[in-house]
Amino acid sequence: MSSFSPLRRFGISFWPGLAVGAALLCLAGTIFAQIVILPQTTTVSAALDAQIWSILRFTLFQAALSTLLSIGLGTALAWSLFHQRRFPGRGALISLLSSTLVLPTLVAVLGLVTVFGRNGWLNDLAEALSGHSFGAFLYGLTGILVAHVYFNASFAVRGLLHRLEAIPAEKFKLARSLGLTPWQRFKLVEWPALKGTLPSMASTIFLLCFTSFAIVLTLGGSPKYNTLEVAIYEAVKFDFDLLRALKLALAQLAVCAFLVVVASGLRASSSAIAQARTPSIWGEPFGARCAQLGITGFCAIAFLAPLAAVLIDGLQADFTKLFAEATFRRALFTSLVLASASSVFTIAIALALGFARRNLSVPGRIPASWWTPVVSRVLAFSGTLYLAIPSLVLGLGFFLIARQFAGPLNFWAVIALLCANVLMALPFSLAILVPAMEKTALRFDKLCFSMGIRGIARWRLAEWPFLRADLGYVAALAFCFSLGDLGVIALFGNQDFATLPWLLYQKMGSYRTHDAAGIALILLALTITVFALVPRVFAGGRDAET
Amino acid sequence: MLKLDALTYHHTNGQSQIYEFSMHSKTGQITGITGQSGSGKSTLLDLIAGFLLPHSGSLTWNDKDLTPLPPEARPVTILFQNDNLFDHLSAEKNIAIGINTSLRLSAGETKKVRQALNDTGLEGFGARRAGSLSGGEQQRVALARALVRDTPVLLLDEPFSALDGETRATMLDLVGEIAVKYHRTVLMVTHDERDCSAIADQHFTLSNGKLHRV
Repeated sequence: MSSFSPLRRFGISFWPGLAVGAALLCLAGTIFAQIVILPQTTTVSAALDAQIWSILRFTLFQAALSTLLSIGLGTALAWSLFHQRRFPGRGALISLLSSTLVLPTLVAVLGLVTVFGRNGWLNDLAEALSGHSFGAFLYGLTGILVAHVYFNASFAVRGLLHRLEAIPAEKFKLARSLGLTPWQRFKLVEWPALKGTLPSMASTIFLLCFTSFAIVLTLGGSPKYNTLEVAIYEAVKFDFDLLRALKLALAQLAVCAFLVVVASGLRASSSAIAQARTPSIWGEPFGARCAQLGITGFCAIAFLAPLAAVLIDGLQADFTKLFAEATFRRALFTSLVLASASSVFTIAIALALGFARRNLSVPGRIPASWWTPVVSRVLAFSGTLYLAIPSLVLGLGFFLIARQFAGPLNFWAVIALLCANVLMALPFSLAILVPAMEKTALRFDKLCFSMGIRGIARWRLAEWPFLRADLGYVAALAFCFSLGDLGVIALFGNQDFATLPWLLYQKMGSYRTHDAAGIALILLALTITVFALVPRVFAGGRDAET
Repeated sequence: MLKLDALTYHHTNGQSQIYEFSMHSKTGQITGITGQSGSGKSTLLDLIAGFLLPHSGSLTWNDKDLTPLPPEARPVTILFQNDNLFDHLSAEKNIAIGINTSLRLSAGETKKVRQALNDTGLEGFGARRAGSLSGGEQQRVALARALVRDTPVLLLDEPFSALDGETRATMLDLVGEIAVKYHRTVLMVTHDERDCSAIADQHFTLSNGKLHRV
């Protein structure tokens, strides 16, 4: 029982995390019970009908194709950006590509429609130049793929570029001195570095596309292109066919759980640290340079044009009229309050889980015992529940709970939204915070233990100065995720309880394009401001290095 | 003869530093260069290998100006402390890539690769993946590739400093043998003066951006 002595020592940083992990698992269990066990078990366990199979097949197909295209384009762009270090605006482009993670989905969709839609810029240009237009290609499978690639190729670029930058400079010198062609260099130097990270990145993108909701809802265009999430939404919202929604949710849960188990085995290779390097003085061969500049230029235009469209269209909106609408003011207030609350809860839960997890992972803290791997898995799984239980399924679970218990639907809507938003931000937050927390423990444990520094004093001296920048990033991330989410709110939204993305979707649906453009611009401005400002406020101008 | 005449380079990354290198090294001669970290040892080798361009001065091999040539066209092979090999390729392929980057070798070239394996004490290691070899074995593979490349100048950028004492001594002996047998001009930078005294025919130290003969 010797391991219980350190447990007492670290109890204050262990039990809250364990309690939070257990609470999250209880929440998942309750949702699971609502969907699978409680309602009409025999009917739900019956075989899935052909229509659901067809939706499942399409969901898997579009997710696989989106993943393939996103990884392909992301790799090409990361490779091009890596070799074209003097590309004008390269740094700004990389920062913007990184920000797609928090870009509200509907804002990007609106921008894509303005640029690539039936009456969009691209068709106007094609008409002017050749008298022909590309038509309404941005709906159905093409639209879904374009939007998924827009988000996920950008997401992939950041990680892949990071891997390329971690290749030792000596490898490139070696390739240059041996006279390798760009293709040989890619095969021998760059691909071996990239391939370690591709399976885990592809599995994440596949999961994101598999559970994609807002994009399919707005660009799918027909029930033929429905994914499971959209089919759940339509079953609840339009047909009020709860049995069908339950069957769909069950299929969604089963596939997601399987994918999460598979994805958890595809860990990215060990962390990569960017190497300092000076650009090659000899440059790239002409053909490779043309390809790199072409890819970078094309992607920069394709990525920036929708954002520019949101800005240009948004500035033409009548903001006085918009702010005069009570529904808009309520939606803005609700969005800001929910986003702030999500941010606070995410930080609190991530810290609790992070402190508990590092007690098990940092040597010299709690020694390995029969129960430590179990607790470690429970803590890890509770932080990634969102991947196994997508927001629409979570929303459906709360919808069923709301039907059973008394109380206004809006109360359950707030709880459902907060849970969904926190769970969505948690995997990213833990991925950022836990390594930093482990580093502070490794660095300061011996010093703090020997001097008896613990509790608030330890937090003030040896945690906060080193975590504040990451905490700021996590706060901004959770805020922006919540601000832009159109998931659970699609089930619960109404005239009395609305968020900005829900209102934007309503305006888009009723062709009030000026109002929609104005709301999109406000969402974009809020997201950029928070993402740029909050991490700086937390960092406070001081950047302690762990 | 490798000749550096007032070869000047202005480092602008971080602290500004001006280097001016002058020296010469005859065919088959081993030159040892020592200096503290940041003294410019790697900058000197990068200039000779073509990874950096000098701001002024001359760099010649047998009176031929090397400065306009890209790294792959220079009569030079460089060995780094790490990352000399492609870990996922076999030792034999890592050597063969020094002859033909597409790895399509004639019978004669394959024989040359086998010979290089033998000359560096790697008989039987040809099929092993480079990533599975020890540090010393990896540096032997890199040396073997330097042999098959037939470039007369061999630059060593502290390639043995991560090895244990015994392996390091063996590798230094091997470099000495190769310089004699293959008539290679060797420039070895190191922070350990014992390496120089072990095999170098001439010894320079680098300080204040200049080479000083010891």
